Amino acid sequence: MIASALGAVGDILGADAMYNSAMRFAIVLAFAAIGEWVAERSGTLNISLEAMMIGGAYTASITWSSTESVPLALLAGMLAGLLVSLVQAHLSHQLAIDQFVVGLTLNIFVLGLALFLDSRWEAVTQVVQPTRIPVLVDIPLVGEAFFGQPWPMYLVVPLVPLAWWLMFRTRWGLELRSVGDSPQAADVSGIHVNRRRRQAIMFAGLTSGLGGGVLVLGQISIAGYESGHVGLKGIIAIAAVIFGGWTLRGTILGCLLFGYFFALQQTLPVLGYRMNAQLAATLPYLVALFFTAVFAARTRQPRALAQPFVRGLA
Amino acid sequence: MTRPDQATARRAVSLLGLYVLSVTVALVLSALLISITGGPWRGVLNALLDGAIRKPGRWGDTLAEATPLLIVSLGAIVSARAGLVNIGQEGQLAVGAATATYVATHLSGPLAIAGAVLAGFVGGALWAGIAALLKYWRKVPEVITTLLLVFIASQGTGYLLTRTFLLLDDDPNKPNRVQTSAQLDESTRIGYIRIFGNEFPWSVVAAVVLAIAVSVVLHRTTWGFRLTVLGRNARTAQRIGVPVVIAGATALALSGAFAGLAGAVMLTAGTANYRFTPGFANNVGWEGLLVALVARNRPLACIPIAFVFAALRTGSGFLAATGVERSIVDVVRSLLVLALLVPPAVAVMRQRRVTPPPAAAAADEPVVSVVVA
Amino acid sequence: MSHPDDALQGAGATAPAPAVQLSSITKRYGPVTACADVDLELVPGEIHGVLGENGAGKSTLMKILIGLVQPDEGTITVAGSETVIHDPQTAADLGVGMVHQHLSLVESLTVWENVLLGDHRRFDRRAARDQVAATAEHYGLAIDPDSQVSDLSAGLRQRVELIKCLRRDPRILILDEPTSVLTPAESEQLFATLRDVVAREQRAVALVSHKLAEVLHATDTVTIMRQGRVVERSRTSGATPSSLARAMVGREVSLRTSAAALGATDELGNPATTPVAARSFDDRPEVLRIDRARLVRGGVTVLDDLSIRVRAGEIVGVAGVEGNGQRELGDVLSSLVALDDGSVTVDGTVVRTGRAGAMARAGVAIIPEDRHDSGCVLTMSIADNLLLDRIDTVARGGLISRAEQRRVALELMREFEVQGAGPDSLFGSLSGGNQQRVVLAREMSSKPKVLIAAQPTRGLDVGAIEYMSGRLRAAAESGIAVLLVSTELEEILDLSDRIIVLTRGKVMGELQRSEATSELLGLLLGGIAAGTDSTGGAHDPS
Repeated sequence: MIASALGAVGDILGADAMYNSAMRFAIVLAFAAIGEWVAERSGTLNISLEAMMIGGAYTASITWSSTESVPLALLAGMLAGLLVSLVQAHLSHQLAIDQFVVGLTLNIFVLGLALFLDSRWEAVTQVVQPTRIPVLVDIPLVGEAFFGQPWPMYLVVPLVPLAWWLMFRTRWGLELRSVGDSPQAADVSGIHVNRRRRQAIMFAGLTSGLGGGVLVLGQISIAGYESGHVGLKGIIAIAAVIFGGWTLRGTILGCLLFGYFFALQQTLPVLGYRMNAQLAATLPYLVALFFTAVFAARTRQPRALAQPFVRGLA
Repeated sequence: MTRPDQATARRAVSLLGLYVLSVTVALVLSALLISITGGPWRGVLNALLDGAIRKPGRWGDTLAEATPLLIVSLGAIVSARAGLVNIGQEGQLAVGAATATYVATHLSGPLAIAGAVLAGFVGGALWAGIAALLKYWRKVPEVITTLLLVFIASQGTGYLLTRTFLLLDDDPNKPNRVQTSAQLDESTRIGYIRIFGNEFPWSVVAAVVLAIAVSVVLHRTTWGFRLTVLGRNARTAQRIGVPVVIAGATALALSGAFAGLAGAVMLTAGTANYRFTPGFANNVGWEGLLVALVARNRPLACIPIAFVFAALRTGSGFLAATGVERSIVDVVRSLLVLALLVPPAVAVMRQRRVTPPPAAAAADEPVVSVVVA
Repeated sequence: MSHPDDALQGAGATAPAPAVQLSSITKRYGPVTACADVDLELVPGEIHGVLGENGAGKSTLMKILIGLVQPDEGTITVAGSETVIHDPQTAADLGVGMVHQHLSLVESLTVWENVLLGDHRRFDRRAARDQVAATAEHYGLAIDPDSQVSDLSAGLRQRVELIKCLRRDPRILILDEPTSVLTPAESEQLFATLRDVVAREQRAVALVSHKLAEVLHATDTVTIMRQGRVVERSRTSGATPSSLARAMVGREVSLRTSAAALGATDELGNPATTPVAARSFDDRPEVLRIDRARLVRGGVTVLDDLSIRVRAGEIVGVAGVEGNGQRELGDVLSSLVALDDGSVTVDGTVVRTGRAGAMARAGVAIIPEDRHDSGCVLTMSIADNLLLDRIDTVARGGLISRAEQRRVALELMREFEVQGAGPDSLFGSLSGGNQQRVVLAREMSSKPKVLIAAQPTRGLDVGAIEYMSGRLRAAAESGIAVLLVSTELEEILDLSDRIIVLTRGKVMGELQRSEATSELLGLLLGGIAAGTDSTGGAHDPS
């Protein structure tokens, strides 16, 4: 019994396909999570991350269906994510409607809209062929995962240092961080608190929209858009940020971890292991729940996270 | 009228105007969306009305559909009152329905109904209790945990339907592939009221009574008072003797219990033909939550709003004939929700611009306008 | 009545051109007029005191000058040309800088990051750090640019504020109640730095304060505001304490409490006050006993072996500069925080710290330092706030009787003179002074054994201060053990029978009122505080 269990673990850990798949999931998560990291550092918790990804995914698919141009599709995805984020940003940080309420409603709206539009205008996509970097891709186990991905996946590589640079080496980033920790102090220094928060949300919209586009063009080919494909990765991305203690490094680690378990769910049957489909489907969420609870370091939580700011009411 | 009365009246009228405007915009946008994609918006409207109230027997169906929505919304109000963000009703409902199914398929008679309902209540409470545990012990925000638990619940309860010792129907006559629970015995079903050619279960009346009870408890009892203090200022609550952790966990569990109760009611009142099936919750949890949000956390307002939301659900059943995809109803629903949330927010904004609150540092100047949850 | 400007006549025709001129500034908030037709002129090379009790409108005026608030009427002229100050950025560009009090530094950021905050010019990390170091050195305000603000003491934080301001090379410098977080020694140093800045670099400084003595001591010109208007303007050298006091309050200042409120007990020393003879409370029972309390937060020991005893009828004053454990002490006595070691005993019974409501049930009433934080619920009604912890007394079988609640509320409001709204109005709609009365009313109505008053008169006008002080004395007279925690030495001296000096969570000194003078207390506070400037890397050369 134990021997076979160990054998199974060995099998799983030794499967190239696992790492490849895990990387794909992780990268898609990372697009959204990096954007959410920026947004949460500025003090907002965006459940509508989901909606931004769905919007990006659908728009990218429909654009590809009509133009067959991958770059155009990705761009369209980004714009769709931006559009959703604009609605979120202005409703929650200009009209002061509760951000969770807005997020929840947007998720339902965008999902319904995507499903509806897809029933009228069907979107079909084809996964971009992997770009294999010679030599490096032959490294055992992780070679394909790191160096044999479809090219849109590699877009995450410049995104990480870009996000870091924006947050820590620009005035904008400094102001964002101050707004997330002490909005009153930032306000008194002349910083427009809600405007910065809106901009942070818009950044998240751009990256998640892109993530949605990369999802449909780099991970799964679909004939006919179905909601399951985004598969509620938005919430996992948020969990990754919390798991990572609101640091960029931790967030990426979280994406890798959770991505691995999504891959596990998908690849186990391929490797020949049977696991009840529904149980397997719960795995990533259970893992996210467990790890966020056990490992999240509270000390770095932005002091004003999810607290709306109104000038004058300290 | 005195000046302040005039001002209040003016504000009320302009607020009403805003509501009318935004709802109209929402409806027009929906109609546009249907038209752009080649559908008959008039046909859709008629189908919805037919399905919801016009055709014989439909408004009874709508009442029945509104019941679990109402119950879920009441639970959402309880947790909101305590300052907690519970968005996991969909999962809590599923767990409640699952536990109710277990009890209901193993007992029979009126005792079974009571048992099933209680089981649903407890099941939902326990599920929400997990989120409470993680919040107060590990400080994970409940908005995340309740949401994650939804997905675990919906898949997990599906798993329960694959094993006969759990929930799967072990009837030898049942075709092998169908994944449902056993059907509830005749005696384990909630009775129906029949009037004017419509029929709806007794649970409708019970839900309305529950709404009134929740309203009284929250607004008139000392328990409700302390819960309100907790939700508005947890530190003050601690100082006056409200144990923040216990009270908060109780509120969260209670709101889950309501959702679970709704699940049990759904089962015993006839949903899915008295069987527990995959996807049983069918968005009732989400929509119940929306009802509470639109009702701005007022229990009595939930009653009519639950009916409206239910109307959308029952109406959508008639859409097939128009050829328009059912997902349009989700779009309409969320547009309506936004339309109903925007006017009060705008009104508050306007109020704030007229009399901006001076900073707390300027001591003796009054804080004139304060945002009320 | 003499014109406010009369005292300025004869000042010399060769006075330098004003750096900024505010003319006929008016600002209304609904029915309340914060500033009415205010004129103010700040001249380079001078420290101009803006004096007035809390609520006189001086904060609003400064907020207008710094761009946080827009005036309804009036003009602002900077260096000869009329201008509109939209926001703090514009103000900074025009050369107006303000050194804020609280809520102005981001704790999680470093010193240089905070200094850069709000500066919309080029973002350059290295240049900023160098500039911080250079400015610090230039003015003798040593600080380490890379230290995190959360590690700094209040005095050092103010230094960061000053540097942040001075780095922008402001023509005009505004200081808003700067000394409330400083020891007397630190205040002296601040004024010395200011004099230097003003004389050497010909800047214009506005010092906003409600403390008469401070203004007398540190300024060249003084403008007095009362109820939103300017009531007097004169050279400081030509003003007497009593004339200033009279202008501030609008009547003769006779009570010792009023003098204390104005921060000028010694200056307005008056024989017709309550005697300061020694009173003995040794025959009274001990009601509150804090024994070797210890509390560690984030690695820092905020309460260190702290022991305090208060007897029935006694007022014990805990003096100390902000940040020495007062807030944590208040939290413990509010049942918000549990002690790591030590105990709290009320009337012989040990009370479990940290358990919800335990202190209240044991008979400990508290007027907290920040009533909005733990003393009230802003969005509930006044009646609700009055019965917050006693809602059961107006309920039968769990159901609240609104009629009964209203009756009790009205009675309390009458007894404690709460004005401005009815019992069903929102608590947040009351003025600060009335809010404090509601809190007091609620706490007193539970017939407590102990009353903790933490900064009870902060932000209140003189009338409200007199009222609160009278109530505190009355509470003591009726046998309640009163613990007064305050950063205002004047207040401590005015009310206490026995005084304890709190530094870094420890009792540094204890003396009877009859032995205490402001100098002595100042020394006790300042002497020990000099050692606290060791954080932040660089040491204070003085």
